[in-house]
Amino acid sequence: MASSLHIDLHKISKFVNLSIPALFVVFLSAGHFVSFYFHFFTVAFLFMVIANFFYMTVQKEHVILKNFGLMGQARYIIESIGPEMRQYLFASDTEERPFNREERSEVYRKAKNIDSASSFGSQQNFDPSEIKIRHTMFPTPKEALQPFKITYGEERGLEFAYTITRPIMISAMSYGALGTNAVRSLARGAKLANIPMNTGEGGYPEYHLMEDCDLIFQIGTAKFGVRTDDGLLDDTKLAEIASKPQIRMIEIKFSQGAKPGKGGLLPKEKITDEIAKLRGIKKGADVVSPPYHPECDTVEKTVAFIKRVQNVSGLPTGFKICLGKVSEFEVLVEEMKRQDVYPDFITVDGAEGGTGAAPKAFLDGVGLPLLVGLASIQDCLKRHGIRNKMKLNASGKLISPRAQLVAFALGADAIYSARGFMLSLGCIQALQCGNNTCPIGITTHDPELQKGLVIESRAPRIANYVHNIEHDLEELLRATGCKSFSELTEENLYIPSDTVLGNYRLNSPEVQAAAS
Amino acid sequence: MKNNIISWIAQLIVVFILGQTLFFKFTDAPEVAEMFAKLGMGPFGYKLIGSLELVACILLLIPSSTIWGAILSWGLMSGAIMGHISKIGFEGNAGAMAGMAIAAWLLSCLIIFFRRNQASFIANMFGTKSSNEMQS
Ligand SMILES: Cc1cc2nc3c(=O)[nH]c(=O)nc-3n(C[C@H](O)[C@H](O)[C@H](O)COP(=O)(O)O)c2cc1C
Repeated sequence: MASSLHIDLHKISKFVNLSIPALFVVFLSAGHFVSFYFHFFTVAFLFMVIANFFYMTVQKEHVILKNFGLMGQARYIIESIGPEMRQYLFASDTEERPFNREERSEVYRKAKNIDSASSFGSQQNFDPSEIKIRHTMFPTPKEALQPFKITYGEERGLEFAYTITRPIMISAMSYGALGTNAVRSLARGAKLANIPMNTGEGGYPEYHLMEDCDLIFQIGTAKFGVRTDDGLLDDTKLAEIASKPQIRMIEIKFSQGAKPGKGGLLPKEKITDEIAKLRGIKKGADVVSPPYHPECDTVEKTVAFIKRVQNVSGLPTGFKICLGKVSEFEVLVEEMKRQDVYPDFITVDGAEGGTGAAPKAFLDGVGLPLLVGLASIQDCLKRHGIRNKMKLNASGKLISPRAQLVAFALGADAIYSARGFMLSLGCIQALQCGNNTCPIGITTHDPELQKGLVIESRAPRIANYVHNIEHDLEELLRATGCKSFSELTEENLYIPSDTVLGNYRLNSPEVQAAAS
Repeated sequence: MKNNIISWIAQLIVVFILGQTLFFKFTDAPEVAEMFAKLGMGPFGYKLIGSLELVACILLLIPSSTIWGAILSWGLMSGAIMGHISKIGFEGNAGAMAGMAIAAWLLSCLIIFFRRNQASFIANMFGTKSSNEMQS
């Protein structure tokens, strides 16, 4: 059945491919016999004739161009502007990924300090399969709330234990992934908001230090900033960095949600003089980030390595992990108990985490989602009776107070966010982080693009975001009837069985043990 | 690397060929007026073409837009060559002008080829991938 609107592309393209040379001839004659000005068109059509000839006979790569010629090119052009067109014109407020417009605009409003009350009803897909917070009939009065305060390293009675007084911290993003202005805006904002910022695995935190905020130094698997020539940990360099008063904690990165189990490669073209200096590497050769620390090839050595970093740095030291196998983590916990060595914190990153660049297969396909990973680790630590030996940080799309409260209820002591702060800086989710072409100038080193990101105007947004998040979190907390985040448990959540977490709960070891 | 150098030399030659006539076009030199009169073009015509040639020269010298300059100069030179074939002829001075136009035309083709990756619709002509595509 041929509908009247049917478009036969093949016929159209044949028509176009014949018209182009025909028009060329028409304009050629007009140029010759009527007015030489017609030759402007003659030349344009000559160009198209030649291009079409190349598309259809010379090149062998593109099927559409070979079959349809110039008409096919239109498809490439339209396809290339498709994502932007869809984002601006067609995408509904709740369907973009990773963060939809609703979620983004909540962050923008918080960062710009605009009231985020909404009217009439929720924009969320309000089906019963969403995790919700259970409120109480008797909310906590404002005065009864205990001020937020947790101290990393108190379990070991450290001299340099570190106390945070606000529930949210800036998660690891390396200088390299971020440009200078972005790092400095975040760092200045962190200072304003009095929260710590994680340096990411970008090596020596030169630009962070300029703004004098509290820092968590991250040791990546390539040990940028604290490495020996063959990529192992250099104790003296670590001790030197740790002795800076701004460096308050050390985070060993075991894995990250966006690419767990995957190393990385810093191509030699990207190694500028500055990067080489900050990261402690040589120019002219690619540098490999192995998928795991070379020092940590067994469970015993892994725990010993944590001990070594704790001893050398003298600071609260923990690790960041995206959970893969629970059984493996269980063995790690047993080894910690055997050696009596505990990290001061564990940062649990969900597979939904972001990155500057990672293979799509890993971004989409590897690792446990945050809620399941966090619940598993919390359960495992409790089962072994060592939950009180350390703090838990959680990260993975925790950009709204609602999601953050859920993480608290599942055991987190503090929240880490990376992209929440990028959005506060003005990120428009152009998805260009790996290309050095970020239109907002956040993940680029191009001075032209960074120009728009004025540090003075961006830093207050970070502080606003933190302030407004904290405010909303406290309101939510009061609604649950708890006085502090540490009182929250899964009892405060409504977890439908068809969510990832609900499903996991139905099959988790505890439930099965209880049933048998 | 080598292609880059060859392309730059070609760009400079084209800029020189196009550029050296601009002064005469914008000052209404009698030779220019006479030659364009054969094409039925007055001062508006040769100043329009002169302006386009100026744009082409500038684009050719800006690294990120070289290909657009080359396409423009290719088009202008195609027109010039057609003018010589159909109306102006190759006698005397006109022959030298035609020779330069042909040289600039050939060099423009060369530049377009060497810089093909700057524009995906050109890169596609040769089946290579443009730099934008490789990134994502
Ligand atoms: C641009 C960018 C760079 C990142 N760089 C690092 C890094 O160097 N080290 C690391 O452990 N995680 C890195 N991450 C992951 C974040 O720290 C965080 O774990 C993850 O994005 C989840 O938090 P979010 O959902 O709030 O963004 C990066 C993320 C982004 C978006």
